[in-house]
Amino acid sequence: MSQTFLGYRRPVGAAGVRNWVAVISIMDNCNPVTRAICEAVDGTIPVTTLFVRGQYGHDLEVSLNTLAGMGRNPNIAAVLLVGLEEGTTEEVARRIRPSGKPVEAVTLQPNGTINVIAEGTRKALKLALAASNLRREPCPVSDLLVGVECGGSDTTSGLTCNPTIGAMADRIIDAGGSVIISETSEFFGAEHLFAKRAVSDTVAKAFTEAVLRLEREAVGRGMDIRGTNPTPDNIRGGLTTIEEKALGAMAKAGTRSLAGVLTYGEPPKAKGLYFMDAPAPAVENLTAFAAAGCQLIFFGTGVGNPIGNMVSPTVKVCGNVNTLRTMADNIDFDASDILEKSAKASSLGEKLYSFAVDVASGTRTTSELLDVRETAISRFAPTI
Amino acid sequence: MPRAIVLNPQDNVATLIDTGEAGVACTLQGEADGTVTLRSAVPFGHKVCVRATPAGGDILKYGQVIGQASKNLEVGDHVHIHNVDSARGRGDKPGARS
Repeated sequence: MSQTFLGYRRPVGAAGVRNWVAVISIMDNCNPVTRAICEAVDGTIPVTTLFVRGQYGHDLEVSLNTLAGMGRNPNIAAVLLVGLEEGTTEEVARRIRPSGKPVEAVTLQPNGTINVIAEGTRKALKLALAASNLRREPCPVSDLLVGVECGGSDTTSGLTCNPTIGAMADRIIDAGGSVIISETSEFFGAEHLFAKRAVSDTVAKAFTEAVLRLEREAVGRGMDIRGTNPTPDNIRGGLTTIEEKALGAMAKAGTRSLAGVLTYGEPPKAKGLYFMDAPAPAVENLTAFAAAGCQLIFFGTGVGNPIGNMVSPTVKVCGNVNTLRTMADNIDFDASDILEKSAKASSLGEKLYSFAVDVASGTRTTSELLDVRETAISRFAPTI
Repeated sequence: MPRAIVLNPQDNVATLIDTGEAGVACTLQGEADGTVTLRSAVPFGHKVCVRATPAGGDILKYGQVIGQASKNLEVGDHVHIHNVDSARGRGDKPGARS
């Protein structure tokens, strides 16, 4: 097994697996400019967002930290911020600067749309030219922080793609890297098993409390979560209850010890397997992974969910023979041999690890090439 | 013959990895062997009962509780949301675990 990949070394911290210039909207009203700049300059990616204007307190902190986290992500060579006004723009810029990478900004006030697109395009051009001078070089797999996700799950997920991702996750951790599993609601019914893997009672309690707190919130609202989670497509795929879904979802975390619990978008402070307390829906969960610094995401799917993350290449793993036929364009790795040829998840996990090294070294994913990528930062309070 | 997988010897359900028509015998794999005759059609990926379970009894998959039977289940029954209840996140149900 290769212990190195070909990555882009950064001034501070881990190496990247991509070398993009991120054009980041500071708030929703900046998105049209962000998109226009990215259409004009190759080598850039648009990191758009909704809201921010009118957010306050913890909710605003999460949004600003998440935008900055995506800018700090090792896959990003340089950042161009697109703001409405200077104050909030500088709030994000100062959170990215410790990464040591170039950070530029343009603001709509008082320049107006046409001028700011022109100014931003010139700045993005210079940043992209400079980024193109960087070259891939051998970097240790221990630099990798990998997010593990599932979406569009069905009963094949817990039998094929998730155990395959789990076997790969064990190998990443054994090579000195780190893995984050999240989707708090998708531990309802499996938390007692996962808590046993915590390195300490404190970690076990923090994890269990995160799961039970979310359940208390749903129950406190008088809600029945069935039909929302499991979703209608989960149910069509044979998943009957959230407990069944959770037991299958947990397989993607492999078997190593749970080192700690993270908040939304929070980077791990050490190596190993982490749990991030964050909402389960894919786009907002993947956004939290990218903000935490994940260079890669592995996404198990059953009935099929094509979406990927803008900053962190997202590898789609599927073991449902029907989906592999009907949604082949959206799948990167076939795990169906587990059901069709009695293959072991451990041997498919080894293949997926090799593929992870390939993707980290530049092999593209379907969600990147088809540009089926989206960004959404979770909201925790209303705007004012 | 459609295939169905039993994941743990304690499980009272098996997961079909083929489409099962009503009345056909389905081959059990994994932690059980033999066959189960389907009492109704079971779609790909859905579950079939492999051990009779009374209403209120636990449904076991992976050797873990995934819900409770809301009706008496016979061997060969399609086991899904029409005859299984979840105990989690049930704010609609007074006394549900919270």
